[in-house]
Amino acid sequence: MARVALFDPCYMAALRPGDAGHARRVLEALGDEVTLVDGRCCGQPAFNSGFRDEARTVGRALLRAAQPHDAVVVASGSCVSMAQHYLPELFDGARRDGAASIAKRFHEFGDYVATHPKAASLALKLEGVVTYHDACHARRELGVSARALELLARVQGLELRRLTYEDECCGFGGAFSVKLPEVSVAMMTAKLDDVRGTGARVLVSGDFSCLAHLEAGARGMGIELETWTLAELLSRALA
Amino acid sequence: MTPFRSRSATEIRTQRPAATLVPIMRKLVTDSEDMLSRGPDDAKERAAAARAHAVDHLEELHTELRGNLERRGIGYHRAATAEEAVGIVRRLLGDAKRVAKSKTMVGEEVGLTPALRAAGIDVLETDIGEYIVDIEGRGPSHLTAPAIHLNRSRIRDLLTRGGADLPDDDPERLSRYVRDIVGDFFKDCDAGITGANVVIASSGRIGIVENEGNVSLGVSHPQLHISITGLEKVVADEAAALAVLEVLAPSATAQPLTSFTHFLADPVPGQQRHIVFVDNGRSRILRDERYRDVLKCIRCGACMNGCPVYRAAGGLSYASPYMGPIGAVVSPLLWPDGRYADLPFASSLCGRCSEVCPVGIPLHRMLLDLRADAVGQGKAGMAERAGWMAWALAFGGATRARATTAFARISLRGAGRIVRPQGNASDPRLLPEPTPPRDPANLRGASRHSTETIVAVEMEPPAPTDLATLFRLRAESLGVAVVRSARARKGDIVLEAAAGIASTGSVLLTGDATSRRPLLAAGRVVVRLNADTIVRYPSDLVPYLGDREALILTGASRTADIEKQIVRGIHGAEDLIVVLPEK
Repeated sequence: MARVALFDPCYMAALRPGDAGHARRVLEALGDEVTLVDGRCCGQPAFNSGFRDEARTVGRALLRAAQPHDAVVVASGSCVSMAQHYLPELFDGARRDGAASIAKRFHEFGDYVATHPKAASLALKLEGVVTYHDACHARRELGVSARALELLARVQGLELRRLTYEDECCGFGGAFSVKLPEVSVAMMTAKLDDVRGTGARVLVSGDFSCLAHLEAGARGMGIELETWTLAELLSRALA
Repeated sequence: MTPFRSRSATEIRTQRPAATLVPIMRKLVTDSEDMLSRGPDDAKERAAAARAHAVDHLEELHTELRGNLERRGIGYHRAATAEEAVGIVRRLLGDAKRVAKSKTMVGEEVGLTPALRAAGIDVLETDIGEYIVDIEGRGPSHLTAPAIHLNRSRIRDLLTRGGADLPDDDPERLSRYVRDIVGDFFKDCDAGITGANVVIASSGRIGIVENEGNVSLGVSHPQLHISITGLEKVVADEAAALAVLEVLAPSATAQPLTSFTHFLADPVPGQQRHIVFVDNGRSRILRDERYRDVLKCIRCGACMNGCPVYRAAGGLSYASPYMGPIGAVVSPLLWPDGRYADLPFASSLCGRCSEVCPVGIPLHRMLLDLRADAVGQGKAGMAERAGWMAWALAFGGATRARATTAFARISLRGAGRIVRPQGNASDPRLLPEPTPPRDPANLRGASRHSTETIVAVEMEPPAPTDLATLFRLRAESLGVAVVRSARARKGDIVLEAAAGIASTGSVLLTGDATSRRPLLAAGRVVVRLNADTIVRYPSDLVPYLGDREALILTGASRTADIEKQIVRGIHGAEDLIVVLPEK
C-alpha cells in the first residue's frame, strides 16, 4: 500500500469541487492511502502571463505542501507540467535543485493509475459512449495521452469515439481565453465541431481546464455536451 | 485592447481566416509528416545539428565564407541595420531602373521593395503569390505561401484592379497570367534580386530553393544578381546545406524538394553577383542564451502551418513580416522598440510549434520568456499588475486560497449560467458553471457518428529497396516521365544528370548543364540518368555536387500560390523526362 498525496488544483476546487473525491476513490481502489493537499496553486496562471515573481510566491507554497510526500498525484496535466518543467526554473542554485527534486514526485492522475502496480486489479464497467479530448500539456509536455486512452479502453461497455483532430488545441490556454477571446472562440468552435461529429454527448479528458472552457462554450452555443474528468469516469466505472 | 487582439478580431469578423486556413493546414501538416517520413530517420536531428553548428560558429564561418565568395568573384556585404542593407542594395544597383525581385523574407524585413520604389526604381515582385499580395498592399500572410489568405475570386478581383481581363478565376489561368507579366519583365530588366536559404562557408556557394522558375531567371540575369539574406543563413559545408534542404521543403510545402534547388557558384562572364548579409539585431539575439536558438530557424513555416492561433487569426493579424509562432518570437527580438511586445501573448502555448519545428527550436518556451520580458519592461497594464499581486496574496497561503476558491465557486454558481466572459455579448461562451455532470443518461444519449470512425488511411506500400525502382516511383508521382529511351523532338533540351536522388525523384545537374535560361526556354527537358549514380537521400549527394554551379530538378516548374492548387509549367517546361536505361 502506497501513501500518496492528492493535490486538488485551485481551479478544480472552484469549478468541479467533487472531482477530488472521485480521484480519491480510484486511488483507494488501488489500495493507496490518500492525503489531500488543497488550498494551493502551481502558479501557472501568473507564469503564463509573464508574472514570474507572483508565480514563484504561489508555486513555493505548493512545493512546501508537497515536500513531506513521496508521490503527489494531480488530476490535471497542465499543473503537473507547470510543476515539473517550469516551477524549478523560477528558483536559483540550491533552491532550484530542491524544487526540482520535489517536482519530480508529481504524477499526472491517468499516468499514475495506468502504471500503478495494481492497475490490472481495477474492475471498470460503464455503459455508454464518450469522446476524448487530449489536452496539449498532457500530450506534448508530459507525453501521457496513451495512458488515458489505455484506461478508457479498459472500461467494459464503454465506447470511445476518437476525435478526428485529437492533436488540436481547444483554445483555452488560461489567460489566453480571456485576453484573445475572438481567437480562442474560433479555436473552440473548431474543436466543438469535431466533438459534435462524433455524436457523443460526454467529453472526457484528464485536464478539466480545457473541459470547463469547452463546456462553457457548448452551453453558450446551445450544444448538448457534458464534460467528465477521467477521474470521475473511472470512479463511476468502479463496481 | 492589444494591437494583436484588435487586428485578429477584425480579421476573424470580416475575413474568417479559419474557413480557408483550417482545411488547408490540416492537410498540409499531415502531408508534411508523410513527406518527412520518406527521408532518413534522423533528418530532423541532422538539420538541427547543422543549424546549431552554424549559430555556434557564426563569425568563424563568415570569415571562411567571405574568403571563398571572394575567390569566386562574388561580392560579400554585411549590413548592420535595415537602412544599411537598403543602402548597400541601392549602391550595388547603380543606375538600374527595372529590377526583378523574387521572394525574400529579409527583403520584407528591411522594407526593400518600398525603399527601392521610393528611389524611383521599378521593382516587380516576380513570385506569383508576392505579385498578388503586392497589388493587395497588405503584405504576405505566410512565410512560404504569401497569398494563402486570398481565395481565387479575390485574387481575380485584385488582378483585375491591376488591369487584367480575366474571363474566370481558374487558378491555372490566374497563375499563367502573372507568369506572362513576369516573363515579359525579365526580358527587359537591369538586375535580379533574390533571397538565399543556405550559404555554404566551405565552398562559397549560395543555395536557393524555388518552384516557379522566377529565381532561375533572377540568378541568371546577365548583368547583375544580388542576393539578400540573414546573417544566420550560413552553414559549414555541403553536407550541412543538404541536411537543411532535406527538411525544408517537406516541412514547408510537403514537397520532397522544391522544383529547383540552386547551388550558385562563380558568376558567368559579364555578370556581377553580390550577397548582402543583414544583421539587423541578429548579433544581439546571438548574445542572449535564452533566444539564440531562434537563429537556427530555416523559415519553413511549419510552426504556422500547425499553429491553431495562426489558423484562426490569419497571418496578417501579426502585422509583421514574420507571422505565426516564429513571428511571435522573432518580431519582438528584431524590433525591441515594443511595437511587437504583445505578439508573444498570441499563443495558447499548446506546444504544437515546438513539436513540428524541423530544427528543434523550443518556440513555446521562448514565448514564455518573452512574456516575462514584456512584463519586466512594464508592458502590462496597471490593472493586470494589481490583479496578479492580489492573486499571489490570495494563493500564497492555504486558508486564503480556500476562501478565494470558495468565493469563486459560489459566485460562479449563479453567474455561470447567464454571464458571458467580460460581459461581452458577442462572445458565444458563458462563464464556467461549477456543477458536476448531472445527467449520466447522456452517456447513453449519443447520436450517430457523423464523421468516419475509421479514417481511411491509404497504407503506403513499403518503399522499394532498389534505388532505380524507388527513383522511378517517386519521380512519376511528381509527374516526371521516366523512360528507357527517348527520341529527341524539336525544342527539346537534352542534358546529362550528374546524379539522381531516389527518395525524392530528383536529378542533379552540374556545371554547364545548369545553364538556366536555355533550360527554362526548352519545350521539354530530357535528362539522361545513369542508374549507378542514383543515391537514396538528398544528403547522400555530397560527392556528386562538384565545386561549380549545381541545380537539382525535382519535378517540373510549378506553383501552388493560389489556394494551394498545383499549376505546372510556370517559367519552365511542363514536361520533364528522365531517360533511365536498364542496367
